Amino acid sequence: MTPNPILGCGIGLRFQHIDQILAEKPPIPWLEILSDNYLIPGSVQQDYAIEIAQHYPVTMHGVGMSLGATDPFNSEYFLRLKKLADQLNPAWISDHLCWTSAHGWVSHDLLPLPYTEETIKHVVQRIREAQDRLERRLVIENVSSYLQYQLSTLTEWEFITAVAEEADCKILLDVNNIYVSAFNHDFDPCRYLDSISIEHVQQFHLAGYEDKGTHLLDTHGHPVSDPVWGLYKLALQRFGALPTLIEWDNNIPSLEELLAEAHKATEAHIHAFA
Amino acid sequence: MPLLELQQSLISALFQRDQLAEAAKLVKAQGSLSSEQRVGIYRNSTHGILLDYLESLYPVCLDLVGTEFFGRTAHSFMDQAPPTSPFLADYGAGFVTYLAEHPALQDMLWIVEVAKLEWARHAAWHTVNQVASDFAQLEGLSAAQQAELRFQLPASAHLISSSTPIHSIWLAHQEEYPDKPRLEEIDLQEAQQVLIFREQRRLHQTTLSADDWAFLNTLQQQATMSELAEQFAEQLPWLFSVAMQEGWIYSFTTD
Repeated sequence: MTPNPILGCGIGLRFQHIDQILAEKPPIPWLEILSDNYLIPGSVQQDYAIEIAQHYPVTMHGVGMSLGATDPFNSEYFLRLKKLADQLNPAWISDHLCWTSAHGWVSHDLLPLPYTEETIKHVVQRIREAQDRLERRLVIENVSSYLQYQLSTLTEWEFITAVAEEADCKILLDVNNIYVSAFNHDFDPCRYLDSISIEHVQQFHLAGYEDKGTHLLDTHGHPVSDPVWGLYKLALQRFGALPTLIEWDNNIPSLEELLAEAHKATEAHIHAFA
Repeated sequence: MPLLELQQSLISALFQRDQLAEAAKLVKAQGSLSSEQRVGIYRNSTHGILLDYLESLYPVCLDLVGTEFFGRTAHSFMDQAPPTSPFLADYGAGFVTYLAEHPALQDMLWIVEVAKLEWARHAAWHTVNQVASDFAQLEGLSAAQQAELRFQLPASAHLISSSTPIHSIWLAHQEEYPDKPRLEEIDLQEAQQVLIFREQRRLHQTTLSADDWAFLNTLQQQATMSELAEQFAEQLPWLFSVAMQEGWIYSFTTD
């Protein structure tokens, strides 16, 4: 069955809002379901996700594939993810261009990769395998980062472009993450945007960061900042009015406030092409 | 350096503070932050994610021991037992044992009992849905078949026998209960037997009488109907009726 189209500006589904969404069915263009929270087959959590998907177009977004890891893939994780996708019929599945596990330990955090030719080969092979396991093309997201490795020989934008081209996957461009990493590593975020090939980008993420003085921290706990809105407008001009998603994971606001933030993104869509 | 070694070095630093300096050798120093501080941001972030998660699992324990003690204990637990599964909901059962062995809690082990209850609530919520038996089918069974019947509690059921009034303590920390007991008025020496189970999207938690506890415990050990009749004699019809009415019995098997 063809998934419902993903158009306009949606929000990330958070557990605090599920009952209200199911009871009131507010007009939300689409919802992003955090796959990792719904991976126990036949659980009440999955019941919620399935019910949401019956009323709204959805995408699935995860943190647990560990696409850049050197540990073998966790087969059970992929089996459950595939089964969930079969039930929800998402327009696409996304995860991050990073690693989360090594040495048998799982950080549940998004750890950056060294940007080298060797890493490109490794990650491309892993993404291809992940796509085979899930029987669909993946969408990979750029992460916020707070460190750069001595080993790196490429810029992040060179790295993600090469990976997307060689693995034949799409890119979820997180505009906030670009801004945060640009601040933390002192590069020009516009140069990043200008270097990403237009045909690879499928979706945008927007979120709020926290200014820690020495660095910006991607907390998803605040409204989208003004500089990120500015960068988003440039992204819209370059890549077009692609589906956009507001992420909010800490200090979670009311559903109304979250939808108001998504509405700002909708207005930016309109103004970008007025 | 191969990617494998780089990743092993960095993840070690996330869960072993003394590995920070070693991992920092892999990282560029930039601006006002040293390499070690940059690795430290990831250690803090990883621990922050796991701390938020553990706080969401054990909110009453958090109230009882305070944010500072809970945080310190949780960080130390993470370093001793880092997650090994990509399924975050699997993580945190060991925190109960970790609390039980904590020197500062040896005179307050009732807090550990509350932690057991909170983990049981988490586990019950995440238990896979099951299909209830059709109890109308019992009518068609022969006497011999009825004698061999075994009844099951919901798969999500957790029976906890505690020397501490864990249900009352838990209730005292729930904002939404207007008639909740005050913690200072609870007799910490009172034993309580508690049943937790999930019915569709609702989590039930209730105290049990000694008789109900004994009955459900025997059911959970897969006693047959004839064994139940022998053990509970004339009490059986009443115990059975209450258990059915409350939704404590969910299915049966005849073989």
